[in-house]
Amino acid sequence: MQEPYRSGFFNSIKIGLYSAAIAAIPGAVAAYFIESRGPVKLRRTISVMSGVLANTGGVPLAFMFYAALGIQGQLTKVLKFFGWDIYAGRFSLGTFLGLLIVYLYFQLPLMIIVFSPAIVALRREWSEAARNLGANQLNYWIKIGIPLLFPSFIASFLLLFASGFSAYATANALTIGDIALTPLQIGGLLDGNVSASQINLGKALGVVMIVISAFAVIPYLAIQRRSARWQKR
Amino acid sequence: MSSKSLILRNISKRFGNVNALDNFNLEVGVGELVALLGPSGCGKTTALRVVAGLEHQDAGSVLVGDRDISQIPAHKRNMGMVFQAYSLFPNLTVEENVAFGLQMRKVNKSVRLKKAHELLDLVGLDSQSKRFTHQLSGGQQQRVALARALAFEPEILLLDEPLSALDAQVRVNLREEIRRLQLSLGTTTLFVTHDQEEAMAISDRVGVMNNGVLEQIDTPDALYNKPASSFVASFVGTMNRIPAHITDGMVEIFGSKIVALKRGNESGKVHALIRPESISVAATTAQGNAKVLTRSFMGASSNIICQTEDGTIVQSLMTSASTGDLLPGSSVQLRVLSSEVLVANV
Amino acid sequence: MRKLNPPLAITLIVLALFVFIPMISAFEFSLRTPGKGGYGWDQYLWAIREEEFFYYIIRSGWLAALTVAITLIVLVPTMTWLHLSKSSIRPFVDGISLLPLVIPVVAFAVGAQISFPEFVQDTVLELPFLYFVLALPYAYRTLDIGLNSIPLKTLTEAARSAGANWWRTIITVIIPVIKSAVVGTVAITFALSLGEYTLTVLLHWDTFPTWVTFVAQENILGAIAISMMSLVIPFLVLTALTLVAPERSTQGRK
Repeated sequence: MQEPYRSGFFNSIKIGLYSAAIAAIPGAVAAYFIESRGPVKLRRTISVMSGVLANTGGVPLAFMFYAALGIQGQLTKVLKFFGWDIYAGRFSLGTFLGLLIVYLYFQLPLMIIVFSPAIVALRREWSEAARNLGANQLNYWIKIGIPLLFPSFIASFLLLFASGFSAYATANALTIGDIALTPLQIGGLLDGNVSASQINLGKALGVVMIVISAFAVIPYLAIQRRSARWQKR
Repeated sequence: MSSKSLILRNISKRFGNVNALDNFNLEVGVGELVALLGPSGCGKTTALRVVAGLEHQDAGSVLVGDRDISQIPAHKRNMGMVFQAYSLFPNLTVEENVAFGLQMRKVNKSVRLKKAHELLDLVGLDSQSKRFTHQLSGGQQQRVALARALAFEPEILLLDEPLSALDAQVRVNLREEIRRLQLSLGTTTLFVTHDQEEAMAISDRVGVMNNGVLEQIDTPDALYNKPASSFVASFVGTMNRIPAHITDGMVEIFGSKIVALKRGNESGKVHALIRPESISVAATTAQGNAKVLTRSFMGASSNIICQTEDGTIVQSLMTSASTGDLLPGSSVQLRVLSSEVLVANV
Repeated sequence: MRKLNPPLAITLIVLALFVFIPMISAFEFSLRTPGKGGYGWDQYLWAIREEEFFYYIIRSGWLAALTVAITLIVLVPTMTWLHLSKSSIRPFVDGISLLPLVIPVVAFAVGAQISFPEFVQDTVLELPFLYFVLALPYAYRTLDIGLNSIPLKTLTEAARSAGANWWRTIITVIIPVIKSAVVGTVAITFALSLGEYTLTVLLHWDTFPTWVTFVAQENILGAIAISMMSLVIPFLVLTALTLVAPERSTQGRK
């Protein structure tokens, strides 16, 4: 496969992995506190809000971040006031790092949505039994809690990867074609007056994208099936 | 580690604006099995959880032996607890589950696995030691839970409705096993249940609770025959309540004068509390003092339900042999077989 | 109300900051009036006066409503059956429901373009069905949780033995009991459909989101105002709906 498509895949995979990595742990921790300590109304509200936020993207999301972290952004000004000029170097929202920050906005809620069921499946009896048997909080987490949550965590991470990997609208809104990303390339190939060879190339790229996503989904399904044994209430 | 006594002193606990426990006092002697019996919401589980340290009391103290453990966190209390269901760790095998308590006490691996196997053997599940929770039946899981709770030789054993989620036959077998184990190990045990048959069958003493208060704590025998309150009388076993009138310390029931055992200030119009087995039903060709409504055949004995002239429903328990000819609608003569009855205010 | 757990409170505050700072910043931007200095609702007024504004909102609105209808009609009976029959394909379906999250929308668009017959591709009505697939992960999960939390078998048997056929059972018995889950599903599906951009633009349709992007090229502040409305209003409405939807638990935990 020639350039620029090779870079496209490389970058897309990279942004998928990185955005998943950044969002996974905070998302998991947030999901833990919300599901285990929040009242029912709160949990439900956050669930709906997360659903909406996880689908935020494209131009509206780009606007929000321009307004907050753009060159004239509010947050930019506040940070400058405290001595941190984020635009001192080569940063801009259209760079890889910029995209990463913006992706976080929908990756984090997605993690909360996808990981919450695993938290819910952690029965209160297990932490109580562990305490009764002499385990303090740390022991419980190391021996019971984390082992039980780990598969679902990995599964959620995979899902987040797939989401970051295939994001189109947001990347489209923030970059001006200077970052090679496969979804954007496919979009470009299908846009406007296209030739047959362009469509074919688009299809081919699409197929490769699906194959890569499959590498995320299949392990995901396998992991979930194993966890389902004890997660069923 | 030998077992100790358990004392709850003036324990109070509120949830929101509900008083789950109100100045609750309880003493369990060394090696004794005491059951807390009562309907849902009576506070029995709360009491147990306060002992375990899973709930913190608003007031009062918990003592094990002569040590006040009220402020000691749950994981340092050295008690074994069996939950109603689903408490085995799904990511550990059966033997790892049972050995968990010892693992937390830093016992080395071969010693704790050996002890785990000893206990699994005691409950008859040694062959399942390498399996996982989801591969076991409900009864097997609870036996593993029991082994797990006893593996580290706790001073106190706590059981929170351990049999409620099991099938009837399994329940009966398992409760015998619990009692057997408890007696052979001599562990002080507190057992919470809403099933009175269970409580009466295996306990040294039973405490009947209602609305956060301990109404009566006594041997099963005493609870059954000398209930201290109306609630206990109705909750434990079946109780007839027959309207009567106290005159000179006696009541007249079905034509006989019987001594009225007062517990308080009962006088005038009362209910006489009579167990079904203390009432006999006889067929009669004459007018009789009641009519048969239904007869339930239960094998060796039968329940006869009759209605007297004033509309009172009376239940009698007799051997099936003696009730063969009592058909619904037939006239019968009811008689009280005891010479004294408990009375309660109407 | 229980006292708020400290770690939970911290989590919520951090999340709130993260979520709302961009929103509020954009909102502030949209209130700016460059000509006159200071703030005003000018951009919003401008947006509303644009004739295409209502055209596109209504267009996206009924497309979203159609999507919700399709989602409910397909999912509620199917999932009820799945839960009741304890079928062994259920984990499989659970997995499939998450596929749309993972298949790149771009690839999905390509696939749709290739595989759908001509007559389907000519009508904008293909969109609700596609949106349904995109919303599936969220809708399925919400309904799944709702159905899990009720004594489904008992309720169904009671309704059926009282003489209700399947549709009546679902409509009059089951949906009211899982009302909060249904509200959540409607909320998410509607929000998603309203804001869907990628698939729509790649299939060459015009809806509200695509129009906003177009407007952005000419009047950035105006586009921001429009975005704010399209994002924040549904967000607030749906959140309010969720908060207000009644609690219904059939059995408390002891």
